[in-house]
Amino acid sequence: MASEFFKKTLDPVIALVAIAVLDIFLFVIVGAWTVGGGETMMTGLIAQSFMGDDLERLPFWTLVFEPDPTYWKIYISLGMLFGAFVSAIIAKEFYIRFPRRVSEWVLITIGGLLMGIGIRLAFVCNVSTFFGMGPEMNMGGYLAISGIIAGAWVGSMIYKKILEG
Amino acid sequence: MSAIGTCLIAFLFGSIVGVLVQRSRFCNTAALRDAMLFKTYRNTKALLVAMMILTIGFTLFITFGEGNPMYFDVGLNTFAGLFIFGVGMVLAGACTVSTWVKTGEGNVGALWALIFTFVGMFLFSLVWSANYWPPAPASMTGEPNFEALQLGYANAATLQEKFGIPAIFFGLIQAGVLYYIYRAILRKEAGQAESHRLAQAKSATAQPAE
Repeated sequence: MASEFFKKTLDPVIALVAIAVLDIFLFVIVGAWTVGGGETMMTGLIAQSFMGDDLERLPFWTLVFEPDPTYWKIYISLGMLFGAFVSAIIAKEFYIRFPRRVSEWVLITIGGLLMGIGIRLAFVCNVSTFFGMGPEMNMGGYLAISGIIAGAWVGSMIYKKILEG
Repeated sequence: MSAIGTCLIAFLFGSIVGVLVQRSRFCNTAALRDAMLFKTYRNTKALLVAMMILTIGFTLFITFGEGNPMYFDVGLNTFAGLFIFGVGMVLAGACTVSTWVKTGEGNVGALWALIFTFVGMFLFSLVWSANYWPPAPASMTGEPNFEALQLGYANAATLQEKFGIPAIFFGLIQAGVLYYIYRAILRKEAGQAESHRLAQAKSATAQPAE
């Protein structure tokens, strides 16, 4: 049974039903699934390790996100990394792979930067949008869903243009 | 609960999510991009089902004053931020979840996207430290603040408070809308399968008899 699980691809509907049920438990215990907040805290901790007390000269890191290694959201991301790594090892799907073309590196770099800027501007990421705010019927969830759909459409058009060369 | 206990629960939750996403190849970016570009809905359907369950679950707990909803003001920045994020995730080919999961599978491109997400966040912190917008959580009031382009705070709990109707009622309406979209996708897929079958039958009959 367990070995079968790591041989076949799991239906994403089944995976997401399980995640949704767990997310409800998390919502009751501490708060809904989110990733962006943990990533911001990690950014702050990394910046602090380089800059030391100089980081306090940037008010963002004292007024919005004060670096704190016990911030629970960090551990969701680290858990996902750990779970995916273990799963990939068991399924024999772990291997180091690199983007082949320079254009891929450029797109990933720009995409990554835009994701980071977007998360901080909005105070939410895609996970909070679909798995937190949206289901909480938060007004911000509707704004965020409209924004991400519009953004994904523009991104898809750019992607299509690039694909068509 | 102690901070360490909370972190342990978060890590356990994340680990199970990591396994499930790795095994299912679920991708939030694909849920939007593939529906728009390729008219395929494998991930979109999963996302909608999860949102239906979550809407009912969250609003049920909110009805009884339980759960921990996110609390901060939203506004133009919420739309604009996710718009920028939406463009970025399609270009990077990964969202916040898949960058971690693919990194765990040994994908260096995903790790690169993750590093630059951090860089983007740090760059934004420089800009914020100069203009202080959007307002910091400490200065949020929950009320509209049009000068700062903020609409305030509203969710299923505030709806229940304002209208005296249980939050689950609104949750069921939202779940119904999500189900309607889900059904529309199933119908579209059935139509796609039918036209594919007809095209195959047509090409089979068009073959010259031997």
